[in-house]
Amino acid sequence: MLKRLFLYPFAIALLVLATLVAGQGTKAEEPTGDPFGDELNFDDDLFGDAFDSPETTKEASWLDGFTVRLSQQLYWQVNNHSVEPRPGLRIPKQADLENNRLGLNFRYQNAFAPGWLLQFTGQARWYWKDDYEYQANNDSIATEYRINELYLQRSFDQQSLKFGRQTVVWGETVGNSVLDVINHTEFRDFTIIDIEDARLNQWMLVWDVFAADSQWSSFINLYPEFNPVAVPGSPFYANTGYNIGDYKRGSQTLFEAGTQWRKSFESSDISFMAAYLYENQLRYDYPVAGYGDALAKKNDFVLLGFSANRAIGKLLLNADLAVSLGVLPNESPFPGITVAGSGLDIEKDQLGASLGFEYAISSDQSISLGVQANKVLNESKGLTPQQTIVNEGIFGSWLVRYRNALSNGNLVISSTLQGDLAADSLFVSLGLDYSINDHWAVAGQIISTTANQQTPMVMFDADVRVGATVTYSF
Amino acid sequence: MTLFKALKFMCITALAVNLSAEELTGEAIMQTMEDTRRSTNDSSFTRLKLSSCTFGVNKGRIACGERPRVKVLESVSINHGKDNKDTKSLTITLEPPAERGIGMLTYGYDEAGRNNQTWLYLSALGRVKRIAGGDSDEETEPASIFGSEFTTEDTDTGKLAEYSFKLLEDATQSGRRVWKVESLPNAERAKKSRYSRTVHYIDQERYVVLRSEMYDKYGKEIKRVMASRVELVNDNWLARSVTMMNLVSNRLSNMAFVEIYTDLDINDAFLTQRTLTDNAYRETGLEALRAQTQ
Repeated sequence: MLKRLFLYPFAIALLVLATLVAGQGTKAEEPTGDPFGDELNFDDDLFGDAFDSPETTKEASWLDGFTVRLSQQLYWQVNNHSVEPRPGLRIPKQADLENNRLGLNFRYQNAFAPGWLLQFTGQARWYWKDDYEYQANNDSIATEYRINELYLQRSFDQQSLKFGRQTVVWGETVGNSVLDVINHTEFRDFTIIDIEDARLNQWMLVWDVFAADSQWSSFINLYPEFNPVAVPGSPFYANTGYNIGDYKRGSQTLFEAGTQWRKSFESSDISFMAAYLYENQLRYDYPVAGYGDALAKKNDFVLLGFSANRAIGKLLLNADLAVSLGVLPNESPFPGITVAGSGLDIEKDQLGASLGFEYAISSDQSISLGVQANKVLNESKGLTPQQTIVNEGIFGSWLVRYRNALSNGNLVISSTLQGDLAADSLFVSLGLDYSINDHWAVAGQIISTTANQQTPMVMFDADVRVGATVTYSF
Repeated sequence: MTLFKALKFMCITALAVNLSAEELTGEAIMQTMEDTRRSTNDSSFTRLKLSSCTFGVNKGRIACGERPRVKVLESVSINHGKDNKDTKSLTITLEPPAERGIGMLTYGYDEAGRNNQTWLYLSALGRVKRIAGGDSDEETEPASIFGSEFTTEDTDTGKLAEYSFKLLEDATQSGRRVWKVESLPNAERAKKSRYSRTVHYIDQERYVVLRSEMYDKYGKEIKRVMASRVELVNDNWLARSVTMMNLVSNRLSNMAFVEIYTDLDINDAFLTQRTLTDNAYRETGLEALRAQTQ
């Protein structure tokens, strides 16, 4: 894998360039001799304006609630190669610019009255020439708008009610929890690889009841949504010859509901939860006629869960347990990867566990590991001797994240390794983020994927992606 | 980490407390400062600016070599527990825009060896997350406070039993009469500390630390704190400007107490995890505190 990285001087050059940029900044003459003697010639007029213009002299405005981020992103798949999803079937993959897009994200928060709050976050995207969305839009600039969060909150006494588009996050294990399944996700391409970035909001009513060290949190979702289908041209899009679309709910009323109780102890937090949910990833059957629209099928189940953490010095241990009752077993360990026509419509019970730790190597360096393992409890029940489920035995994934913050957090080096327990695929990412000042930031990333024919990820085998993003926030 | 309470440890004054001659030991001076810090810092609401830059020397004066990075923070703190020696504090980032809304809740304990508890709320995480910071050691730098040169070790409070103190001499600093007090960590504390020795310059009249020098295990001064703008705020002497200079990396951070109010009516429930996640509750509570300061 590492050898592959060195094959791409452009990628390395990009990171070196970012490092050089990161190293800039000190324009003043460095102290020589001993300028730090007893009579240090220092006065804090350097920061005098901190007192000359106190924040309270500013007149409050509703515009103060806005935070805006603009970002321009470029991503290339830089490796000319071919993949072999089946023996003898080779598909060439050319180096190509995949992402060339401008993004605008905004956040608005307004506590407009005591106990009331409105929060609104949204995004707009402009897809420029050579972006896969541009190509999917008949080679013209494509535009996309989306409301992320939009909720109204009322807090009173020990309670809080939030209604609108929002997220509910369960579980403790970083990035890889079996309980983090409430909101659906969109892994549209490799620029979104962390579940924290991939979660999509849903219309929900969330009711929280707070006590000193504990909290009840319940939600009801009257319009459950499912993972969106990859758009044509995106790396995750597969032309199957038939249409993969959203669930046709017709006149059916779908809903999800759940509740969680969380309590904090010294050095530890625990939670119990129960929910009625739909799997976020739809299942598909082949079209009856062999062409046209694949049949999207929902997959409802009951989830019972427990999670806990324990802090021991610099170590934080995490554990999540999930029992899924009456679920159609998963077909892919990777969210966003759709397998069509391979499922058996036999509900099973499934046990899932995520175990992990976060360790602060130093104040600047941290590493986390999360392992997710699942087991269908009654694998052969209802099957004929000729049938098997897709994931027999224990299946799941693992995730390692490393982070090193240099220059007091202005420069962050991060790395992610992700794979499945069967060792059929490996995903490696190396990132570098540099904050130039309080408004401007640049980021560079190299992503490599390796997979064999045992997994749908084989379509990304030997891919190497290089990306860069420039961000302005205000 | 009780950030702002602790920073006041570096800068806050005593009331008109004077030690008699027979009590004039390093330990007595530090204990008096610690007691005073608690009494003057309870139930406080603070707004401050944290400015950081690399520095150099320009015409014989320390000068920023770049435009300082500025963070604006609001903090709420209360004392609690046995003898009111433990602390709870909540810090919210207002600026820069990219970090707006990041909240941190810390329960600090006076008892030696008892780890503080910290929870963080990041909107990207979507939930409250416990942070296992633990202690640093003599080889590693403790955690930076919001990317500044102030660290968790610089701002840790209480736990005086983990140090021995020695009154070195009378001296003059910034035109004020000061005591120079040496602070040495005990063996257990030394394992967790970056500093093998610290020397504080304490204003004899106002009990403000005007300067501190931190030394590593090789006896090299690696950090220096300079305090200035000592003013009487809410009946307490306070250094409203505290600058931490990292003499190794040539980077400094200045903490400016733009506004500070004490003895406010702060509900215990406000210093809980609810305040991190329940934005309506948090904003209502902060508004109520701001109203108290009018």
